[in-house]
Amino acid sequence: MRFALRRTGQAALVVVATFVLAFLLLQALPGDAIVARYASPELGLTAAQLDELRAVYGTDQPIWVQLWQSAAGFLTGDLGTSLQSGASVETLLAAALPSTLLLASLGFVVAVLLAVGIAVAATNGPGWIRRGFRSLPPLFVSIPVFWLGIVLLQVLSFRLGLVPVINASPAEALILPVLTIAVPIAAPLAQVLIRSIDDTVAEPFIAVARSRGAGPGWVLSREVARNALLPTLTIAGVLFGELVAGAVVTETVFARSGLGRLTQEAVANRDIPVLQAIVVISAIGFVIINLVVDLVSPAIDPRLRRAVHA
Amino acid sequence: MALTACAAGEAAAPGAASDGPVTGGTLTYLEHQAYTTLYPPAAGFYPNGALVNNLTARLLHQDPETLELEPWIATALPEVNGDATEYTFDIRTDVTYSDGTPLTAENVVANLDLFGLGDQDRALIVSEAVNNYERGEVVDDDTVRFHFRASAPGFAQAVSTINSGLLADATLERDSEGFGPGNAADIIGAGPFTVESEEVGTSIRLAAREDYAWAPPSAENQGRPYVDAVDIVIAPEDSVRIGSLASGQAHIARQVEPQHEEQVTSAGLSLHAAQTNGVNNGLSFRFDHPLLQDIDVRRALIAGIDREEVVSSIFSDAYPLATSSLSSTALGYSEQEDAYAYDPDLAEQLLDDAGWVVGSDGIRVRDGQRLHLVVNEALPQPRSRDVITLVAQQLREIGVELELFQGDQAAQTAASTDIDQVQIYHSMVGRADFDVIKSQFSIDNRNTLLNEGADGQPIDADLEALLQEVASEPDTEARAAASAAVQAHLTEQAYVLPFFEEPQVYGVQPQVHGFETESVGRPTLSGVWLEG
Repeated sequence: MRFALRRTGQAALVVVATFVLAFLLLQALPGDAIVARYASPELGLTAAQLDELRAVYGTDQPIWVQLWQSAAGFLTGDLGTSLQSGASVETLLAAALPSTLLLASLGFVVAVLLAVGIAVAATNGPGWIRRGFRSLPPLFVSIPVFWLGIVLLQVLSFRLGLVPVINASPAEALILPVLTIAVPIAAPLAQVLIRSIDDTVAEPFIAVARSRGAGPGWVLSREVARNALLPTLTIAGVLFGELVAGAVVTETVFARSGLGRLTQEAVANRDIPVLQAIVVISAIGFVIINLVVDLVSPAIDPRLRRAVHA
Repeated sequence: MALTACAAGEAAAPGAASDGPVTGGTLTYLEHQAYTTLYPPAAGFYPNGALVNNLTARLLHQDPETLELEPWIATALPEVNGDATEYTFDIRTDVTYSDGTPLTAENVVANLDLFGLGDQDRALIVSEAVNNYERGEVVDDDTVRFHFRASAPGFAQAVSTINSGLLADATLERDSEGFGPGNAADIIGAGPFTVESEEVGTSIRLAAREDYAWAPPSAENQGRPYVDAVDIVIAPEDSVRIGSLASGQAHIARQVEPQHEEQVTSAGLSLHAAQTNGVNNGLSFRFDHPLLQDIDVRRALIAGIDREEVVSSIFSDAYPLATSSLSSTALGYSEQEDAYAYDPDLAEQLLDDAGWVVGSDGIRVRDGQRLHLVVNEALPQPRSRDVITLVAQQLREIGVELELFQGDQAAQTAASTDIDQVQIYHSMVGRADFDVIKSQFSIDNRNTLLNEGADGQPIDADLEALLQEVASEPDTEARAAASAAVQAHLTEQAYVLPFFEEPQVYGVQPQVHGFETESVGRPTLSGVWLEG
């Protein structure tokens, strides 16, 4: 219990530190957001008019005042206003977040299925199948997400007309992006799984189980799977980062709204309030996943429980 | 190549057999970026303009081909006093907004007061199109008058632009956030379409206004739009936008890049290249920078750049080679014969004579200083990076080093007004009025030459005086003469090198008929109909 509290405290600290650091780094970029949106010569505003706009948006305040206001806003659920469009950041996130969560979770599920399939085939099939499937993860890792997305689109949508991209039903609109995002995540998962299965199969207790008459299916599902789960779980946090990065590219390619697209546009326009919110939300996601992994791991592996209590 | 290179030609496939317009259907239109605001003075950004143009009516309408003004919400062209400081419009009294409220004289004045003066507290900026605005006045139920502090000859054209799209009273109350994404359905105009629904960042559905009956006189379609609805879908990735258009998943796509034109035409689609009728895509040499103060250096840059190679190798027939700083279809255009001829020998001669000696690395040096210049990347313009890369290669041949300023839009904007960071400015501006040349070069506006000294006074006072004349001369012929004088001055002083007349290029499916654009190339969708 003390362990859980301590880890939760640490997680909260990471989020706060990320918030402050992101705030300071974003402020340090050249050209403030008022310049980015309003100083464009196209609008022909004078320096005095720009200063008035800074006052309206509160960006003329000392940096620590802005930090405090921003933090207070976050705590009360007011994430501020996008400087690029003037829309409230909550509106933009409310539109983007569900779509990205759906894409990411489906992508993760497909990736897990793909990885398990590859790992099982790579450790149990006949020799040539094993070799073939063992070479898949390195291949998948080296495929750029962007390229994969374009190829899937060109072939499945534009050439064969199997799935529309424009005006697609919600389910149709998910097929290609989910595939695109699943492949690069399946690769490291499959690699870790193959390695754990190899290691576990070499353990003496597997030989013992086999000698007692257990079939390969029983060994795989009861003994190997349980032991291979933990290392796979521990890389889940890393994969979350992969999911977020994959979403940026996938959402741009497939013209999907979402956190990725929002990030890409906010970066291009130096939209600091939006970026700040995205960084903090990503940090919270990252921290929660790692926290869950840390808290769940002892439940899976009794050895970790002992280590924690010792 | 099936190319319609006029301002507003029919985009229909040639020879398409049909018996005339058909009502009904949903048009799918692919846009490059999501809109950022629907506040009309900020409608210059194309995705904003595409919406504002179809949602709002204006006092006047500008014919995109002849650039002549005609009545729209006003019943006739305005009465203007001698020095163009008072404009009186007679307006229709039978027009309603889509929320049912009437379009009244009070409402028109409230609109122009906001656009002409802005409202800093709500972060609503002043319209670039409306100059010297003082106040509006309701004369009677169907008459409004506008007063100006100084001559405002561009005002009649200004009220025809999308920057002056009229809004219902409730919409005028909104702040900057209220015009932003997520609020499109609440932006109420008196145009042919209304916003039915919006998915922020992804798509917008427009619905035809059934009771729309106040189209400008020249419009072929005087009633409701032919299509029932328009789906505007955001597809930021070029290959995806063009691929889905070519494969028939959409009817119209904006921004077909030159390298994708063939993909569009070979799929049996047509291209619609709409001229933007303004200052051409080109370079402004910031003549107050120590390296550019010598006119011979500027002349050498012009002679050392092969514009024809730039246009032929990077662009297509839709991008006509510029013949002045203004587009040949712009008001006030005056041809600058032989002003931008490619002559590398002359360029080298000019630099030699100016004392620039080729150094060991091939770059010229004078008094220990390298001939090194920085140019911005015009991110909104087509293939700016490719243009600069090629121009840098050409200039290297004559011993000039050209560096591209790296950075995103915010960094480019921040550096663009600093002569120490950017000495050559790559840009263009589209606006179908004489004022456009002032918008580009005056110290009051975009000031692309950075012609403002530390004391706030123009460095080249002659140029600024000529530009002010364009913007304040009440008489049309005098404005044309002033505009021609500006173009001649820019040529004599070797201040600019225009590349090409920048179009907006659309890809259009053959079953789409009646696609037109307004005077700077934004889509006008009320006349579009879909063949069965």
